[in-house]
Amino acid sequence: MGIGSVATEECKVITLEHVPCCICGGVDGAPVGVGEDFEYHTSAQSFLAVRCPSCSLIYLDPRPSMSSLPLIYPDEYHAFAFDAERFGIVFRIRSRLEARRLLRAGRGLPNDAQVLDVGCGDGFHLALLRKHGPPGWQLHGVDNDARAVAAAQQRGMDVENCLIEQSALEPGSIDFALCIQTIEHTADPVSVLRAIGQLLKPGGRLYLITDNTGSPDFGITKGRHWGGYHFPRHFNLFNKSSMRKLADVAGLEVASLSTITSPVNWTYSVRNTLVDWNAPAWMVNRFSLKAAPALAMFTVLDSALALVGRGALLRVILQRPK
Amino acid sequence: MKSSTPAVIVIGGGIAGLLSAHELQRHGVAAQVYEAGPRIAGMATSHTDADGFSYDVGAHFVTNRFMAALGMSVNCRTLPRYGEVVRLGPNKHPVYPMGLLGVPRFVRSAMWERVRRPQRDLLNAAERFRRDYGRALADEVAAPLLEAWSGLPADQLSASVIDKIPTGLAQTIWLRAAQRLTKRAVMIGYCKEEPSAAGVFHVYPEGGVAAICQHVANGLEHPVKVGQPAERIYVEDERVVGARIGGRDIETHTIISTLPINRLPQLIEGSSRLERFRRFHFRGLVLVNLKLQGRDLLPDVIVWTPHGFPYFRVTEAAMAMPWIAPENKTMILCEFGAQVGDEVWKLTDEEAVERCVSTLDPLIPGVRERVLGGSVLRQPLGYPVFALDYETDRAALAADGTGIAGLHSVGRNGEFDHILMEDTFWRLRRRIPQIARAHQSG
Repeated sequence: MGIGSVATEECKVITLEHVPCCICGGVDGAPVGVGEDFEYHTSAQSFLAVRCPSCSLIYLDPRPSMSSLPLIYPDEYHAFAFDAERFGIVFRIRSRLEARRLLRAGRGLPNDAQVLDVGCGDGFHLALLRKHGPPGWQLHGVDNDARAVAAAQQRGMDVENCLIEQSALEPGSIDFALCIQTIEHTADPVSVLRAIGQLLKPGGRLYLITDNTGSPDFGITKGRHWGGYHFPRHFNLFNKSSMRKLADVAGLEVASLSTITSPVNWTYSVRNTLVDWNAPAWMVNRFSLKAAPALAMFTVLDSALALVGRGALLRVILQRPK
Repeated sequence: MKSSTPAVIVIGGGIAGLLSAHELQRHGVAAQVYEAGPRIAGMATSHTDADGFSYDVGAHFVTNRFMAALGMSVNCRTLPRYGEVVRLGPNKHPVYPMGLLGVPRFVRSAMWERVRRPQRDLLNAAERFRRDYGRALADEVAAPLLEAWSGLPADQLSASVIDKIPTGLAQTIWLRAAQRLTKRAVMIGYCKEEPSAAGVFHVYPEGGVAAICQHVANGLEHPVKVGQPAERIYVEDERVVGARIGGRDIETHTIISTLPINRLPQLIEGSSRLERFRRFHFRGLVLVNLKLQGRDLLPDVIVWTPHGFPYFRVTEAAMAMPWIAPENKTMILCEFGAQVGDEVWKLTDEEAVERCVSTLDPLIPGVRERVLGGSVLRQPLGYPVFALDYETDRAALAADGTGIAGLHSVGRNGEFDHILMEDTFWRLRRRIPQIARAHQSG
């Protein structure tokens, strides 16, 4: 929404569609936040986040239609190319941390385990497992974006370019699935979890990470600037309660549900505020994925919150019933 | 949608009727909107004259939140500023509401009122104003303005009318600071159903309210039927059983009416329950729009004029929406409280324009030399009047609805309430699920 000008034909216009709550099907969402694409400026449109009164799910309504996905994920989107060259020390620290988290979640798996990363992006997590995990693990990835798949394949990963519901992998073949900061991007999380459940062996595990709307960061900035909104790319956002409901509807058991530390949403909440308020570039740039001091500061803060179960990210281990 | 369930009948193709149908559709309930006039959106139109001035009849407060909810933010411009002042005298225009705290006599009398605050329930607006704001501010500002747009003395108006006026000083200070910081017209108190916030601000869609109506109408599965006036609503045992619309009887057990509540009883056949609403009274408005040379002629976008002017409010919308007038030109809107048929109502356009031009000089020196033209609009349904005389019935309507099963009266005129368009939307969002459930269960 530009001051004094409306969108002209040259501007990209994202087509929108009204949607119900993906868990209960309700259409009674109450407004929580309204904002724009503060990060990539893919359009000038405003988006509304609403809360389902029965599930406490936060979701965009209306949200971009499927035909608009290429518009809202620009070529420079960070999940397509998160590498050491561009992100330096942040890349190295995050790699080490994520590798440790993944291996802890995958403890006890057989040496020849079949591992699937759903929404694998540029193959960052698969590459970590290849480097740090047992050599016998068979690694697979699925992503719906051809640009992400191309980046992952460049890393030498075995990645399918499709929705998880369309995967050619054999049902009941997967020991360990990952769904890391992906479920919030999906239009139908129930369908995604059901599809993953079908691919898992009985007793197989799904390790899922997503933004936590139970975080104090959300509480403070939910009206407009919360980094976790990632307007308009995060369609569905969860807290512990809505995550349990989602797992239940998808037919998966909750083996573990906790929160973990991440400085990213905090950093972006501040950055979005500054961008929205037309702060000078030098100030805005103090808060980004490349800004180590801000990331360090918010890591300390969020670590304290994670200790009391209110960290920035939900860490969920779901299991296909045996 | 079960084919055996008749569609909900929605009477009125204005914003309230269209949003009702839109919400019912989201709940899987078929709804048919009937509009008596030749097109949707009633009086709401938008056009630009030969001199480049844009007119939005039915112009309204619209926020980014409301437009995002309807998915039409792409056509909106953000308002860079919005503010209101109260004219207390020459060069005395304190900002509403905080600036009034800078007037010593207002503060003194407000503090005195705090000390001797009476504990009894206050029924009329005059007493309530005095208790809440102090006698000086109540008698000099609040009561005269209320009386001007209501047409009744404040002691004959219900105290409940004051619940509709935004309060909350600390929040107002924060939101005004946010307005300065963001250079946007942050919405302060123009929506009662959802809270104000620094991130909720005034925007305006290209094409105005008519464009909003068209956008909603375009999304309806059943196109609006125009030129179809509602003639009868059939009621049996205090339940809706059907309606006669455009000369045809239609069966249904749910009707949503957006008609003014005082007109609804005329349509009812089979019940006298709504008779009590016939006496409800809407105050009219005469709106005089002057095209002037110059820009930023008023101290702020809205100037409230409790004394010394024949109109109660003067607005320079081009300060908030610079695009509506050519460069170095502006439009000034003067609003008269009036009644259909009274002296002000019957003024010719030329007389009404002259009455403004001849009285505006204290606010805009040399106004006569600036005038480029003028136009007049007469709006018979300006404000619902909260008269003490029918306060019990008004409160009952707000709490319990019409009292006839399946008949729902919605929107500003239907609810007889001081609500804005966004309020209508969020209210319907909360109300329609129950209406949809009741309709589906027969």
